[in-house]
Amino acid sequence: MNILELRNITKKFPGSWLPAVDNLNLDVAMSENVALLGESGCGKTTILRMIAGFEVPDGGTIKINGQVVSGQGKFIEPQNRKVGIVFQDYALFPHKTVWENIIFGLFRLPESEVNKKASEIIELTGLQGLEKRYPHQLSGGQKQRVALARAMAPEPELILFDEPFSNIDSMRKQQMREDIKNIIKKTRATAIFVTHDTKDVMSIADKVSVIRQGRIVQTDNPQKIYTFPVNTYVADFFGKTNYIKAKVSPEGYKTAMGIIKTKSPLPADIKDVLLSIRPEEFTTCKEKNDCFYGSIVKERFMGEYKELTCKVENPSGENTEIIIYTIPNAQCTNGKCYFKPNEEKIHVLKKHDEY
Amino acid sequence: MVKHKGRNLFDIQFQRQLRNPWIWGAFFTALLIAFPLVIVLSNIFIPGDATWQHISRNLLPGYILNTIVLMTGVALLTFLLGVSTAWIVSMYNFPGHRFLSWALILPIAIPAYINGFTWAGILDYTSPVYVFLRNNFGIDSGQYLFFNILSLPGAVIILSLSLYPYVYLISKAYFTRQSSSLFEVASSLGRNHGDIFFRVALPMARPAIVAGISLALMEVLNDYGLVRYFGVDTFTTGIFTAWFAFSHPQSALKLSAYLMIFVLALIIMEKTQRGQMRYDTLGNTYRPLTKIKLSRRRAVLATILCLIPFLSGFAIPVVMLLYWSSLTFEYVVNYRFTELLANSFLLAASASALVTLLALFISFTVRSFPSRLVKLLARVATLGYAIPGAVVAIGILILLLWIDSNLGISSPAGIRIAITGTWFSLVFAYLVRFMAVGYNSVDSGMEKISTSLDEASRSLGVSNLKTLRKVNTPLLTGSIISAALLVFIDVLKELPLTLILRPFNFDTLAIRAFEFASDERIAEAAPAAMIIIITGMIPVFLLNRLMGRIG
Repeated sequence: MNILELRNITKKFPGSWLPAVDNLNLDVAMSENVALLGESGCGKTTILRMIAGFEVPDGGTIKINGQVVSGQGKFIEPQNRKVGIVFQDYALFPHKTVWENIIFGLFRLPESEVNKKASEIIELTGLQGLEKRYPHQLSGGQKQRVALARAMAPEPELILFDEPFSNIDSMRKQQMREDIKNIIKKTRATAIFVTHDTKDVMSIADKVSVIRQGRIVQTDNPQKIYTFPVNTYVADFFGKTNYIKAKVSPEGYKTAMGIIKTKSPLPADIKDVLLSIRPEEFTTCKEKNDCFYGSIVKERFMGEYKELTCKVENPSGENTEIIIYTIPNAQCTNGKCYFKPNEEKIHVLKKHDEY
Repeated sequence: MVKHKGRNLFDIQFQRQLRNPWIWGAFFTALLIAFPLVIVLSNIFIPGDATWQHISRNLLPGYILNTIVLMTGVALLTFLLGVSTAWIVSMYNFPGHRFLSWALILPIAIPAYINGFTWAGILDYTSPVYVFLRNNFGIDSGQYLFFNILSLPGAVIILSLSLYPYVYLISKAYFTRQSSSLFEVASSLGRNHGDIFFRVALPMARPAIVAGISLALMEVLNDYGLVRYFGVDTFTTGIFTAWFAFSHPQSALKLSAYLMIFVLALIIMEKTQRGQMRYDTLGNTYRPLTKIKLSRRRAVLATILCLIPFLSGFAIPVVMLLYWSSLTFEYVVNYRFTELLANSFLLAASASALVTLLALFISFTVRSFPSRLVKLLARVATLGYAIPGAVVAIGILILLLWIDSNLGISSPAGIRIAITGTWFSLVFAYLVRFMAVGYNSVDSGMEKISTSLDEASRSLGVSNLKTLRKVNTPLLTGSIISAALLVFIDVLKELPLTLILRPFNFDTLAIRAFEFASDERIAEAAPAAMIIIITGMIPVFLLNRLMGRIG
């Protein structure tokens, strides 16, 4: 069952030509963690604010737990939506202690239950011992956990996160991502993350929607989106990839550097395609065999791996440059390298998927 | 693909506004405040009768001329006093610069009419100063020491002494905000200080300076006490004459409408000169000005230059008033005086409480439900500050008289109970006139609170009212106190509006001081005047502490 349904949501801000959100549809199932990923200004935060009720859509319907909260002539105010939010700046009340912040939304419960609920959530978020502190006495990570605890305490239908890790220094980010993910998984809460960081997405989300100019470009699990992006925009967003022009032929993809074989079925309806192969989907070989051969034109040491740029020459003069990630002590020497792609991870973009 | 159709009146956004009690509240507040102003303006098109013919033919030209001369004179003099002292204090290091940098604000604590009658008293034939100079040095220049201050030039000087701090404060804030590299670049290009001032600082600060002068000129248009005392006939004195001497409301209304045209012209002038002017700011490289140490001779000159407005605008009048107070204290400060004090303070406190509460409420409405309509309502609600007190008073008086005669409540004895000339009408008028003072203070505090705090509260299911009470208000304590204080002081020293609307036989400190002075009993006016001045000094001290904290 879907906790959240967005249907044909449109929002245009006065003074702007393009809609911030353009005819957008989104479904979020119970206990699902969905990430809305996009560059700043793509409309992802506007979507979040419309779900929370801080912006009014120009058109379309939003349903939370089957109930219309916006659209069809109805509008439920934010205080009646049961949607929790963790803000980018955490928005902790500076004049209230951690404890007071957490119980702020529990005013409808009798006192004994407030204490029980707050203690539970404090234990869950690992904030024991910090109850009497004020927000200015907390570290960034602690503040974020307080913000999460406060949002979760009233048991909202879903929790929204606005750029949750952008204010945390990179050393602690991964730990924070895991902590948050564990807390969410433990409570089986439904969560929506808005972020521009693909690493957030990879570590936290079950499902990602990539957003561009107010529309969803692709929705899938992070692994799939990474390997099989629908177009070059999504492919580029998730990191480096090799684009290779190819013609479909019975034995494989015919490219300037030779035939690339694949284990997936070849597209039947189209001749000219663009292949996308991630740099780590190449392996180096000891000798020629059925590998490609190129001279190394650039070598970059990146710590845990090495980035090689290989130039594959073609008699007709149409050279191809391929980027490969290898282990630092790969079998490439003397400025030459044999390599071949993983035949299962060759992704085909049709020509018009190019941006 | 959904077509983006134009907003229709019944879309969700509009319906949401219709259902919103906050927006309705802001709407009624704005309506209430706009009403008296609309009444005044609408009168301009009604043809006048014989009395108006007389006034417009024989008196109006004089009012216009005097007003223009006053405005021009005050503009020039506040510019000279305000900008020169601001530049000296923010650029140079000389003995006493720290003290003078805030002492120069102090004259703002003395209302122009008090400063006016004090100086008239000092320069009068019988004043202790004049007596001393005459007896010991044989200085005798007739009835007045030096010159007759009760004149148009005298009014220009006194008004400027009371109002230059507006220009001083705003230009000083502007000069000190500039990065020193800006001035250093100019000197590295071979410019001397004079050049830097005239070619860099002055053109850059122009919008700020003009804004300061406009504020001062609005106070000129508002002034009644000083021009009446000095015998300079302007619109405000004309309104009083039409209302009280001719008993001719229509003429008072028409004069008010004409006066509002002056106000409007001033606002438009200020807005257009500002134009599209936006300057590039120097971003992260900001380095505060390092003050230049002056040579001894120049330092003495700078000190003297800055001492002149401080002494004549504050120190001398205050010393004089203290001296007079000591003479009349026992005689004036009796049970009648306590009653005055209670009247003034209660009135100021209730007006300031109401203004602050409504300001808080409107500021929160604009913040929580921003839309063009709501922003417009907030602007309308704060319109009154530009409108002279006498005009506000006339508008309200006409409105209330109409309500009294048409809807007045009859008491069982058959006597109609009128709301005209009650506390209610006074507080209403102060609300109209001083809403902007409270609003600006509260709103600037509100802007510093991240909106995500309110949103966090609302997303936790907390109502708007409770959010305002539990989240915003505790974080706004400082702004709320300063809003209440500023309104309190403005009400305490207010004269023209109170004179027109006060209940029968009801006096305030300001009125009593003005009446004593008008009866040539200046010494007896001193204790009331001193209380007004001392209260008015509180925000100057607070401002000084704040500036100290910023550095």
